[in-house]
Amino acid sequence: MSKNFALRELIDDRPQDGVFRVNRTLFRDPALFDLEMAHVFEGGWVFIGLATQAENPNDYFTSFIGRVPIMVSRDAKGELRCLINVCPHKGVRLVQKLCGNASRHVCPYHSWTFDSTGANRNIKWEKSGCYAAGFDEENHDLAPVARFGEYRGFLFASLNPDVPSLEDFLGETRKLLDLVVDKSPEGVELVPGRVCFTYAANWKMQLENCSDQYHFTSTHPSYIRILDQRAKEQASDVVEATLGAADFWQEDASGITGGTMSFDHGHVLNWGVMPVTSAQPDFERAEQIAEAHGVAKRNWMFNMRNLTIFPNLQIAENASSQMRVIRPIAHNLTEMQTWCIAPRGESAKARALRIRQYEDFFNPTGMATPDDTVCYEEAQLGMAEQERPWLQGHARGLAATVEGGNEYSDMIDLKPARSVLADAQLCDESLFGSYYRAWAARMKEVVA
Amino acid sequence: MTVLGRAEAAAFLYREALYLDRMDFDLWLDLYTSDCLFWMPAWRDDGKQTDDPDSELSLIFYRGRRNLEDRVQRIRSGFSVASVVMPRVAHMIGNVLAEPVDDRTTRLDSSFIVNVHDVRTHRGHAYFGRYEHELRLENGEWKISRKVIRLMNDVVPTMLDIYGI
Repeated sequence: MSKNFALRELIDDRPQDGVFRVNRTLFRDPALFDLEMAHVFEGGWVFIGLATQAENPNDYFTSFIGRVPIMVSRDAKGELRCLINVCPHKGVRLVQKLCGNASRHVCPYHSWTFDSTGANRNIKWEKSGCYAAGFDEENHDLAPVARFGEYRGFLFASLNPDVPSLEDFLGETRKLLDLVVDKSPEGVELVPGRVCFTYAANWKMQLENCSDQYHFTSTHPSYIRILDQRAKEQASDVVEATLGAADFWQEDASGITGGTMSFDHGHVLNWGVMPVTSAQPDFERAEQIAEAHGVAKRNWMFNMRNLTIFPNLQIAENASSQMRVIRPIAHNLTEMQTWCIAPRGESAKARALRIRQYEDFFNPTGMATPDDTVCYEEAQLGMAEQERPWLQGHARGLAATVEGGNEYSDMIDLKPARSVLADAQLCDESLFGSYYRAWAARMKEVVA
Repeated sequence: MTVLGRAEAAAFLYREALYLDRMDFDLWLDLYTSDCLFWMPAWRDDGKQTDDPDSELSLIFYRGRRNLEDRVQRIRSGFSVASVVMPRVAHMIGNVLAEPVDDRTTRLDSSFIVNVHDVRTHRGHAYFGRYEHELRLENGEWKISRKVIRLMNDVVPTMLDIYGI
């Protein structure tokens, strides 16, 4: 290791003194970034996709775990696997397409051929190849990833075998994934059309922003003004906004409007109360959902919920419903893969409303996300400051954090490790602590 | 019958491009009918563009000029950090074809490159793709009743607003 990092110089975590601080180095150091790729993204569970992306026999889709190309392939019998998408021969990425259906995958370089289980089915001119004994002893199949698991259609994998079970890793957040999936008896799917964008800043800017209620009224006033205006005019040619009916972000709202929850392994939720109204596409199912799952769970499904499954999955249910996958490229460059995630079988009208609400808010071509990504880039510039290395952005809510849950999590038997109940102006930042503690746990071999 | 010739059609597209290059959004909005469709499809994983905006995602989809007015309002509001230091853009339009649909409607196909200089970061980018315009004669003037922007390089660096396409 060319460079040594001391944890206490990166994360100042002293709960007894009421201190939690993060050093700017975490965002700007290329050497630290390389270690993150190896230990955070290639050293533990990461999200890789939805089972519906490879629904039928021999369907596949490709992605990356950290820097490593992978393929999720459903074999002819219907079993899903996650394979390293690299030909063992010369290390060429085997499949280039994002998705498809194939019972055989032929390497474009020397035609080694694999079936949809990853088994090698042909080595071109093997018999005439004068291979020596050592070659036959090697495994020529595509390598499976060390660990692969599914929870209700959400697929996770780890290149490192030494990780907790997926059940343990997800823990209580499985109940939050249930809220996403149980909106329809048929589960969820991705709306066709993937939107991909980059920003010139560290991946942890996106990680935090999804859970950052504090920024909303500051970063997005131009969008909020348009929402206000549309609500007043009730024009028929503009889309109805889910956020219009919600109080959680209105600075003059009173009482509990939401809060945050932190879970083991770095997962967090920030949430806000949203009423069950026709502005939400799920309104058409509101009664059915309540009958199937109870009113409390139904109401939670209508709440604003931004869920992060550390380190790379974010499901944002606020202005619409979005699934984001964070793909770090460099210490100062991040690629975002984004989709509209939706209940299967919803009406065409509800689907259209969901899509319209999505585009204006979530797209990099919309009216909100660009104001976020520009702020990430401005933050990245500011990470150069060394005079005062400690950021002051992880301190709100520290004095409001309690162990365990509260009456709102109790409603759905959800047991977070820590939680904050908030009025509209608290805007907890203490939940970010979960990210950095999980980060430190994954980095423990190289940052001590 | 009013026929929009190829040269006139091209001039119309150049004028729209000029208004965007000058960020003269009022004149730009004036080119559109009040019920216009403004649509930039997204791309599916199978390598094809989305083609049903009500069941598939678009990068931008609006029915009604009112929505474009909202976009302009946001840009001008002073409350959008992405619009505080405005990028500079230059549209290049070529390969213009015009085909009359009926005596009040003409369809135009063209190619575009929009060179963007991001003044805030000193970064440059070139968006490119194809336009499909439908022009409709309203009170003796040609207006855009439908514009489809088929963006080829759809991995967006940081942000892309209406003046960059």
